[in-house]
Amino acid sequence: MKSTTARKLAAAVTAGALLAATGCSGDEPAGSATSAEKTLRAAFAGGGSSETLNYLTGPTALDFVRAKLVHAPLCELDPKAPDGVSYGVVEAITASDDLKTYTLRVRDGVKFTDGKALTSADVLYSLRAPMLLKGLPFTMLISRNFDMEAATAPDASTVVLPTKSPIADGREVICQTTLAIADKTTEFTTNTPSSGPFTIESFEPGQSTLLKRNDSYYGQAPELEKIELRSIPDGAARVNALRQGQVDFISAVGPAEAKTLETSDGIKVTNSDLPYASYLQYTMNIKAAPFDDPRVREAFRLAVDRERIVQNVYYGRAFVGNDVPALGFPSYNTTLAQRSHDPERAKQLLTEAGAAGIKVELTAGPELPGMVETATLIVEDLKAIGVQAALRELPAGQLFADYPAYLSWPFKAGYTPAAYFEINHTPGVFTDVDTLVLTARSAATEQERLAASHQAQKLLWEKGNQIAPVFVPTISAASDRVDGVRELQFPDLSRVTLRN
Amino acid sequence: MRLASWLTMRVAAAAATLIVLSAVVFWATEVLPGDAVGTSAGPDATDAERAAIRVSLGLDRPAGERYLEWIGQAVQGNLGESLLTGRKVSEVIGDRLLASVAVLLPAAVMIVVLAVVLGSAAGLRAGGRWDRALSAITLGLVGSSDFLLATGLLVVFTAWWPVLPAVALVPAGDELWQHPDLVALPAIALALGGFGAAMRLLRASVAQTTGTGFAEFARLNGVRGVRYVWMMVSNAAAPALHGLSIVLAGLLGGSIVVETLFNVPGVGFELSQAVAERDVPLVQGLSLTLGAATLAILLAGDLCAAMLGRHQASAPGGAR
Repeated sequence: MKSTTARKLAAAVTAGALLAATGCSGDEPAGSATSAEKTLRAAFAGGGSSETLNYLTGPTALDFVRAKLVHAPLCELDPKAPDGVSYGVVEAITASDDLKTYTLRVRDGVKFTDGKALTSADVLYSLRAPMLLKGLPFTMLISRNFDMEAATAPDASTVVLPTKSPIADGREVICQTTLAIADKTTEFTTNTPSSGPFTIESFEPGQSTLLKRNDSYYGQAPELEKIELRSIPDGAARVNALRQGQVDFISAVGPAEAKTLETSDGIKVTNSDLPYASYLQYTMNIKAAPFDDPRVREAFRLAVDRERIVQNVYYGRAFVGNDVPALGFPSYNTTLAQRSHDPERAKQLLTEAGAAGIKVELTAGPELPGMVETATLIVEDLKAIGVQAALRELPAGQLFADYPAYLSWPFKAGYTPAAYFEINHTPGVFTDVDTLVLTARSAATEQERLAASHQAQKLLWEKGNQIAPVFVPTISAASDRVDGVRELQFPDLSRVTLRN
Repeated sequence: MRLASWLTMRVAAAAATLIVLSAVVFWATEVLPGDAVGTSAGPDATDAERAAIRVSLGLDRPAGERYLEWIGQAVQGNLGESLLTGRKVSEVIGDRLLASVAVLLPAAVMIVVLAVVLGSAAGLRAGGRWDRALSAITLGLVGSSDFLLATGLLVVFTAWWPVLPAVALVPAGDELWQHPDLVALPAIALALGGFGAAMRLLRASVAQTTGTGFAEFARLNGVRGVRYVWMMVSNAAAPALHGLSIVLAGLLGGSIVVETLFNVPGVGFELSQAVAERDVPLVQGLSLTLGAATLAILLAGDLCAAMLGRHQASAPGGAR
């Protein structure tokens, strides 16, 4: 009798397992056959429920990528263009001779999706919006440089911006992040009128955004009909989704994942080119020992083997840095000698400074691919010159969370997205550098400005407090059907073409 | 009547636990270094800009005052708004809970089925070949990390035999539960990792029950087959039910690894994100919801066990 019981149980188990198996394998992998032909499915890291359509307050790369597809930029940074910027709904920007006033000319024939023409009032509002709508600090660059209270729109196609002090690089300031929004926009929904190449069909924070081509877009019409932006926070999950064909494009691929994806059939891996690479820096606090001594700072910079970081951390997908920012931008000082890896000289400098065998702790967190791994190699290099170096690794999201604490740490990792050196320079560390940057931004002739900028960079190279071993590009991977992704500061998908 | 007063006591205790929990969570997010200002300002903000954000988020007010205001609102059912996006916390929780439950419910069903079937099978033949094989397998599963199980499933079902999607990408406008193929892998991963503990408890308890005089008596009285199995299992189920409810409660907020790997937009992931962003109202709302759900599941488990206990008292022998 007991044996029948056992048999019944075995049958029940088998039935259960079968049920589970059939229940699970009934459907095809999602997305493979259902996607429309001209729909690009692109996955980004996203930011959970904190994603927003308001680009002024959206902290993630996806928020900005999405916003830029929906709202046309006034203009964009373009180091190769004659003005340093390429124009959008603003078709020209001229500076007065005294560099105190900037005049923006609004392009004719640009329409919002509600049919209204885009005028100077909209452009002026777009420039003021960061202040009015409490934008994040990265959007505040304009109000730091221009007197927005005194800005005017004298006619429908002209905006006049007075500067707070004379600046020659006002174009870069205006074009770094500003997108065109309609006058008096206070909230951003799927129905907010926009002027970009796509409009929003649906938006679910932390999950997906469906974008549809805007046929009234003034610029080059996108070939794609739709773009589906997906949020996949985990890097490995993004790679899995691409491998299985659930998405066509993934952004923010780690260097190690890129290496494994390179060998996959039907997938190509690309990274952004200079100047679009983040400035990865390890900052030494000069307000306290041992870093108040320039010899210690130089020793630390000489100790680092940059080539090893490029090879071992980034598998070749990074650019060797020379301890000054903005590599690849026109004003970058290329006359400076590349800092060599010279542990012997470093040891000597430390001994001279009486700092042989000092103890330091380097704080880093996974805020940029390879930031922690690079820090690990730097700590090794420092140990090799006799420094008792240790790494303090913070969990994701912690590094900048307590900013006053971050500032007070003696030795810490950080990064700056690709951007011009002068307008993003934070004063307060070296007064002579600050003065030179001011000249570089405001001198009357271009030669004077460039000379000052180069001199400022030279000083930073000589006595600066940052080790910048590498510039880190963003790595993307895509199915080989995808072409035309522009790898700018963030990937631009507006000109993507999809082959069948 | 006794049941009603017992229930009232338990619910009151649960409410008190939740209030204590909310204070502890608030305090914990408060002592973490940094706040939402730091996470939203970015590294290039000036001090004045930081101060302005702090004031606009209301973070310049004392912590005690903010907590009292929050709890006052929470009691009235208003969980407040996210510091970063201004979305209603209850709305975010609703979305995320739905996604979590879409995975947890099938996982729970699988856990119950696997635990009951395998636990009974092993327990009725304790020491047999079946029992030893199952013990080895379940100990292996219990000992494996969620990450390992999930990766193994991914290798099998998306690489070797590609029949299931690797990542849960819900089509825009749909909910996760409408797509069983997307739910399958994460649910199986949770079930494989979770059923072991409950199954082992049931096995031990069934094995013990079959060894009692009560079981002997039943067998001598000619109780056989399904009736015998039911008699043994129902008498042995109470401790396993406790185990089961603890496993299920743990899955609700503790499935972050599986949620992350399969991209399930669930409560666990949202909570870890909210903590990283120091979004205090969201952290509070999510942890309170998780706390309440956990207490409810445990209460339901105890209630079921108590009902089984009453059944047991009336069963012949009454062995406990």
